[in-house]
Amino acid sequence: MSTGSFSKPFSAAFDINSQEFSLTGVIRPRSVDEIAVNISMLKGAIDQVRGVLYINVKRLIQMNNTAFHAFVRVFLDACRARPDLRFVIVTSSVVGWTTRMFSHLNKIEPQITIEVYDSKFYPGQSFVEDASFIPILRTQTKMTWRHERTILPRHGMRPGIAMADICCGIGDFAVLVQKEFQPLRIVALDHSRASLAYARDVATGFGITDIEYTYGDASEMLLEDSQFDFVSCRHSLQIFNRPDVLLAELYRICKPGGRVYVTNEKNSHCLGEPRSQSIQWTYNEVAKLFSHFEMDVELGPKSRRYFADAGFEDIVVESIMVSNLDGDPQDFADVIAAWENVYAGEMAVKRGDSPEFIQRFRQGFQDHIFAALHPKGYAGWPIWVASGRKPR
Amino acid sequence: MNEADRESVEAAFEPLLQLEMEMTTFLSDWHHCDQLSTFIGRIVSHNRTDPVRHSNVFSSVLNELLEVSFRGGSPDGQIDCAVYRHGAVERVRLTFPCPPHQRQFVGEAVSKTRRADALARHLDSISTDLASNRDAVFLDLAINFDARIRLENSAPPSITLVVDLPLQGIVN
Repeated sequence: MSTGSFSKPFSAAFDINSQEFSLTGVIRPRSVDEIAVNISMLKGAIDQVRGVLYINVKRLIQMNNTAFHAFVRVFLDACRARPDLRFVIVTSSVVGWTTRMFSHLNKIEPQITIEVYDSKFYPGQSFVEDASFIPILRTQTKMTWRHERTILPRHGMRPGIAMADICCGIGDFAVLVQKEFQPLRIVALDHSRASLAYARDVATGFGITDIEYTYGDASEMLLEDSQFDFVSCRHSLQIFNRPDVLLAELYRICKPGGRVYVTNEKNSHCLGEPRSQSIQWTYNEVAKLFSHFEMDVELGPKSRRYFADAGFEDIVVESIMVSNLDGDPQDFADVIAAWENVYAGEMAVKRGDSPEFIQRFRQGFQDHIFAALHPKGYAGWPIWVASGRKPR
Repeated sequence: MNEADRESVEAAFEPLLQLEMEMTTFLSDWHHCDQLSTFIGRIVSHNRTDPVRHSNVFSSVLNELLEVSFRGGSPDGQIDCAVYRHGAVERVRLTFPCPPHQRQFVGEAVSKTRRADALARHLDSISTDLASNRDAVFLDLAINFDARIRLENSAPPSITLVVDLPLQGIVN
């Protein structure tokens, strides 16, 4: 059910299959009577479950003391009446006060425990949030920006807009956009504290003070509905195990008439000459490797379908080929070397691949570097750019 | 802290925002607490390290303070909410008219937040329904938001709450 009298939607729901009662939104009632139906739903949930009841408050943006005490009263009474029942309250590290408030309950009733939903919200997160990835990201942006600065206006970028860069990483794209297009407001969100710290340093170094960097979960953002004229999310749908959920969030925060802009790869289409066969084999294996970790680095051309399914209109899709001929070929080679380190050095090892496989896997990256630095060679990294307009 | 030191600290707080409203208007709609706390939170937090999350936490605290003034305030006069900053600390100074007995209750609730047994009282307020709403709110702010709360002398029938909030620690 929803309670429309609050400034932002509030909802409570119970899923018997997962034994999960969830509270989302802003809940600031004047009296307990206003949430009586929700309290009743919670009591009904307690009556139906066995063993453990999960209380999901990951997306609980605000809750006043009146509501907190009303819900907690039910938990505590249930603990006393049902010694067989445990409560696991699942909070988010993004909304810091919920963990603090609810953690006291364990001191009162050991049957109530708190779990901070954090680092496991998508399977490949640990690979891409590692601080060692930062130099690669910076070089990648430098290479793609040469193309994107020309492309962006075709996808709705213009001066004076409100923009959000979701999964902003080290924030360099936001800085480049700020310098090139002068949007009125930029909010840049990421779930890596190391990347955000780096981003703030970069912005400070450039004397840019008006980018709002924020720590957050892209699939469940604190940002309100319909705020931004332009929402970018680069190279990220492909590393979420549920890209449709992420795209729905991008849609939600985009203003009606505004545009969501994404970039993604199709890794198996990375190419190079000479040694093309070795290169192609390795990048086909890259796609399989990411798939093992529930990431789809073949997503690029699928963007059109994702946008259509999410309800966008005026969908624009185009591809760019980043190559060793853009600027310094050594930059291209450095990026490939970094990919080799992470993909062959970490991910393949974690998957349990044999030394023989990893050796062949590495060789394709080495051959790609060889092609990039060869005086007559060509090395390419294709990227699909897509945007769609949220209906008015 | 002697008077000179206190004045020095007071002077260090830079004013950020001040909002005044007729109490009759404020009391006309409960949702003013939510709306004002959200609005002020956004403005105050815009140049904090993480504005979105700072605003969320600040709004949590300010909403509770406004709810206290809504529940205990009287309709004659104005509510005055001012926010100041000194380093990592935001200070809320909230003045509103209230009956004399409310003034006493608020004073007692505030004093409980400074006692050594504040955490025990907070747990008690959660586990039983015996604590007053005021006690529960101020203990919650002190324990969960590291708020330092005091009452400032103001001319009756008004009451002034001064709340220092080192929220950066919670946000980061």
